[in-house]
Amino acid sequence: MTHAVPGRPRLGAVARKAGGHVVRGLVMIWVVATISFVIIREIPGNPVLGQYESLIQKGMSPEQAERATAVLYGFLPTGSLWEQYVGYMGSLLHLDLGRSLSTPGVEVTTLIGHAARWTVLPVLAGTLLSFLLGVTMGVYAAIKRSGKLGDMLALSGSLLHGVPVYVIGLLLTAIFATLWPIMPSGGPVDVEFVPGFNAGYIGSLVHHAVLPVVTYTLASYGGWILAMKSNVVAVLGDDFILAAELRGLRRGFVFRYLARNAILPLFTILALSIGMLFGGSIFIEQIFNYPGLGLLLVDSISSRDYALMGGTFLVITVGIVVANIAADLLYTAIDPRVRSGGAA
Amino acid sequence: MTAHTAARHPAARDIEARDIAAPGVRIRDLTVVYKTPSGELPAVRGVDLTLAPGTITGVVGESGSGKSTLALSLLNAVQPPGRIAAGTVEIDGLGDVLTLRGEDLRRARGSQVGYVFQAAQNSLNPLKTIGKQLLDLGRSHDVADLRALVRDAKDLLARMGMDGARVLDSYQHELSGGMRQRVGIMLALALNAKVVVLDEPTTALDMITQATILRIIREVHEERGLTTLVITHDVGAVAEVADSLAVMYGGRVVEHGPVTEVLGDAHHPYTQGLIRAIPRLTGDLSLARALPGRPPTLGTLPTQGCVFRERCERRLEVCETDEPMAVNRDGRTVACHATDRHLTLVKRKEFV
Repeated sequence: MTHAVPGRPRLGAVARKAGGHVVRGLVMIWVVATISFVIIREIPGNPVLGQYESLIQKGMSPEQAERATAVLYGFLPTGSLWEQYVGYMGSLLHLDLGRSLSTPGVEVTTLIGHAARWTVLPVLAGTLLSFLLGVTMGVYAAIKRSGKLGDMLALSGSLLHGVPVYVIGLLLTAIFATLWPIMPSGGPVDVEFVPGFNAGYIGSLVHHAVLPVVTYTLASYGGWILAMKSNVVAVLGDDFILAAELRGLRRGFVFRYLARNAILPLFTILALSIGMLFGGSIFIEQIFNYPGLGLLLVDSISSRDYALMGGTFLVITVGIVVANIAADLLYTAIDPRVRSGGAA
Repeated sequence: MTAHTAARHPAARDIEARDIAAPGVRIRDLTVVYKTPSGELPAVRGVDLTLAPGTITGVVGESGSGKSTLALSLLNAVQPPGRIAAGTVEIDGLGDVLTLRGEDLRRARGSQVGYVFQAAQNSLNPLKTIGKQLLDLGRSHDVADLRALVRDAKDLLARMGMDGARVLDSYQHELSGGMRQRVGIMLALALNAKVVVLDEPTTALDMITQATILRIIREVHEERGLTTLVITHDVGAVAEVADSLAVMYGGRVVEHGPVTEVLGDAHHPYTQGLIRAIPRLTGDLSLARALPGRPPTLGTLPTQGCVFRERCERRLEVCETDEPMAVNRDGRTVACHATDRHLTLVKRKEFV
């Protein structure tokens, strides 16, 4: 073993690792962009050509139709495939994803930016809430696993884990918006409030976000509690916990040894699931009519808005790639075994 | 007194370390049972064992003989589904460990009785440096002068041939098996515990490292004036390090005495078989004879008579029905009907 300063995070190594990740991430994004470029051209009925031809049928001259299509898609529908590809990549570099068809003239990036607001915050809140809740309950379920309460907690986790997210969402709407209407049934905010930083608007935002956030929390809570429970049980069986007890360590220290070792693998999953939230939760956003990325994707597919579709896919890809990098770097930062290059 | 010496000034501790006599340990009638589907079965039954102050006692036995359970009993730390059903473990200056509960028990562990795990087992938190775990240990036992604790730990590590500062700054995975074992010994002794239990200290180490660890155990034991218990299945290791030797079989101590006498002139048929089974470095390998049969498990342990009779070549009729009593003669304890009768016969002949 050779290490300059044993035990200390070696910043050079971490930076090198991060650099490698970024390069790999960029390659990944480029590959996905290329694939979606090709797919949009290979989809039966070639939407680009279809657009072009329908514009001609509407009475445009070929030059006009070509320009109009180019504006819509961000690249020339004619010319060699290579020219089109270079054009597409060039505009990508300028973060230009083209213009939407279904909302004519509006840039795809603008639409995605608007939708992202309605997705990122609620789903982030739901993810973190269910993570905290599930991990805490998981520890409890593991420690009390031979008792009734532990059994109940584990059972609640298994049951919730098995219920599809749309069933939870529909049940919650049925109960809290129809049967006992204390919550709005959908939409992101009441229209009567002036958007801005005022109590009424923000209150309405929060009020509308409650059910989607609770749905998301309940949907992933089961997974967290089960994962944490099994991790805690596994670490409890490790010798270093018994060794810590036999050295007379305070319960607080032993608990911290236990919790930190058990929660470590879950951080990767957490980072990944935060990446997935860029895809939005299609079911939740449909049930609650929440204008997020998931709903945007569904709408773009049903209206055959290929530019928007491609753009949304690309944003989801970037989100997941970034989350993957974050998860790996996070692991490097918190696990000394990974940090030193996996000597063990 | 030895109570809470760790909180005092380090210089005072060093003087005490030399002056205070090592405590004696008396295990009396210890029975530990494990809960199984077929009821509670004894893993350790009616064990009497005295660790003389300042000596190293070796406990040998096959897997399942109850030796690790015995070791954990010294810290009142038998893990469920096990339970200490009867007996006492008296340690000088501490009293009966088995009556200690809660905070008293926690404080006794580490500060009065040190426990060293097998090196192959990961007895260290993988996410914290050794130094941080040492500080956790000091804080748990209210050590006032943590700097002194770290200094002492470095000295102890240096004493065992390691770069103390560097080891304290390392994680477990950055250390080799032999280094981990020395760290384990350091953590067991950091608070100046006077009774030390080592569970399989040389298992899973290479031969050279084994020899080093055994030498360190012996030297540190003498320098610090400890009372040491070494649990192992390696008769060779015990011969090298121990003053007295206890042989366990089926949860009983079947023979106990000074190590040279027990190994040089074994009385119990099991001990004799155990010694015959050791291959010699020189000479014919076929001279080493394995004991016939298998060691009993909790389920197959006979409930009456001698536990060893199934594998014994000197079995008598009485072995089927009566459990042999441990008989103490000239500082040696043997629990065997055949040996007992043999000795009686010899004595009778002498009188005739």
